[in-house]
Amino acid sequence: MARAVRRAVSAAVTLGLVTLVVFALGASLPGSAEEDDERARPLPPDYRAAVRAQFHLDAPWHVRYVRWVADLARGDLGISLREKRPVAAIIRERLPVSLALNALALTAIVGLSVPIGIAGAWRPSSRTDRILALTTTAIYAVPVFWAALLLQWLFSVRLGWLPLFGSGGVAHLVLPVACLTYGGLAYVSRFVRTAIVEGTTGEGGRVARARGVGPVRFLVAHGIPQAAIPLLTLAGFLVPRLVGGSLLIEEIFGLPGLGSLMFQSVLARDLPVVLALTLLSGAATLIAMTGADALAAWVDPRSRRVA
Amino acid sequence: MSRDPSVLRTGLLLCGLVAVAALAAPWIPGEPYRVDLERVLEAPSWTHWMGTDGLGRDVLARLAYGARVSLTVGLGTAAIALVIGLPLGALAGYRGGWWDAAVSRVIEAVLCFPALLLALALLAVAPAWLARLPETLRIALALGIVAWTPTARYLRAEFKRMRGSEAVHAARAAGAGGWRIAARHLLPQGLAPVLVTMAFGAAAAALAEASLSFIGVGVSPPTASWGQMLLEALRHMGRAWWLAAFPGAALFVTVYGFNRLAEGLRDWLDPRPLLR
Repeated sequence: MARAVRRAVSAAVTLGLVTLVVFALGASLPGSAEEDDERARPLPPDYRAAVRAQFHLDAPWHVRYVRWVADLARGDLGISLREKRPVAAIIRERLPVSLALNALALTAIVGLSVPIGIAGAWRPSSRTDRILALTTTAIYAVPVFWAALLLQWLFSVRLGWLPLFGSGGVAHLVLPVACLTYGGLAYVSRFVRTAIVEGTTGEGGRVARARGVGPVRFLVAHGIPQAAIPLLTLAGFLVPRLVGGSLLIEEIFGLPGLGSLMFQSVLARDLPVVLALTLLSGAATLIAMTGADALAAWVDPRSRRVA
Repeated sequence: MSRDPSVLRTGLLLCGLVAVAALAAPWIPGEPYRVDLERVLEAPSWTHWMGTDGLGRDVLARLAYGARVSLTVGLGTAAIALVIGLPLGALAGYRGGWWDAAVSRVIEAVLCFPALLLALALLAVAPAWLARLPETLRIALALGIVAWTPTARYLRAEFKRMRGSEAVHAARAAGAGGWRIAARHLLPQGLAPVLVTMAFGAAAAALAEASLSFIGVGVSPPTASWGQMLLEALRHMGRAWWLAAFPGAALFVTVYGFNRLAEGLRDWLDPRPLLR
């Protein structure tokens, strides 16, 4: 329990640090919120003063940071400078798209990688193993936006089976999910394979073989459990992608998710939105990493001792 | 994979190919920057081996100059990652305690962001000191600031493992100081995994540069970059296959080459071949 509290405190410290840096960077930039408005038309001085007062722009940045944290504690993420409405509402609109896209991709990655990993580990260094490794690493090197272009051209322009762009139904997600999936295959399947081979070539594995355990039972009872822990840790690293990892794909396929929101907000210097997304993605990362650690400790008591 | 020398060889060959293209760029026939509106979107021919783009520029020549950008950013990022990651990782692993806690927090903080996003933010809102640098260096720096964590993590783990070892105790008993132990006994051990992460890092950075240029925050227009060439291909989708095919293939060769190089190095350096 003390361990969990320590982790939570350190995670909070990390998040504070990250948002502080983002805040300082954002505040150090030239230009400000009301100047963007001014580009369209000159602002009356009293209106300008009102805007500066509303966003507390005359206070030094560290005072504004403290104010931001205080607002956050009350559940208020502020108002987007670009869209002039609550940040929370914008994120709530876009979260489902990113979540659906990345959850599907994560499921596909794990669902495909585990069988590929098992197939490779069945006979290490066999022809199957080598061909699988070669194909997945080759696919991994295909740039994702190039693959997106190719898939769009083939399935949308040429064959007309799937929509080219935008969001709507499940059909709109097929190509983006495919693009997000193939890159992870090489990495995760190799991971699974290595873990299984590690489990089956060790002492315990050899003893089991000598005792006459058949190949299928051997794999199921000795190999796959070994892969569970590394896979959990890896999943912990993959989960953060659920929030903002699909920036390129969302931009290419015109999906209104959090990745494209972050992209547009960074370009527009919309600090409240950038801060909120930073916090969200940071929190997801830390929770996933901590959660994976805790699950691993639960699955395998040995890892509890390793600090 | 067994200890297969062909992996390392393939990696060296492909990386060498890209390096040769980058070095030989000025002697490759065709003009990378001369606009020729009479010969727009021409298919590959004897005069333009890889065709021409939407402004009549030679695709082959642009591809060769793009290799320079790709390699500079790839290797530059790996070098910057090493410069940041090596001392931090070594310090955290060797000193432990307060240093370890501090470095680990910073690593966690960096991991909170998707890497591409942080680089994007740094480039898009470029603070003045960053904006003054040459373009490729600026991109390498923006990517390197995020890319050092694997190096630091590997080195930290390696130093931590080695700190309590017999060899280190022996060296200390023989009168070696902390710096000497770190430099002469620990660093050579930890360097192998670092070399491997550098090669993987170069592949990732080349890909990241192309991605950034593809979304318009990387290399700026007249300079030839593969990501930007692919962005142009998007505009002519279905009309000019050569615009998408060649830069994409070049990027593939670079990324695949560096990854193979990394894997080959790892197999070569790791005594447990079956596990990799």
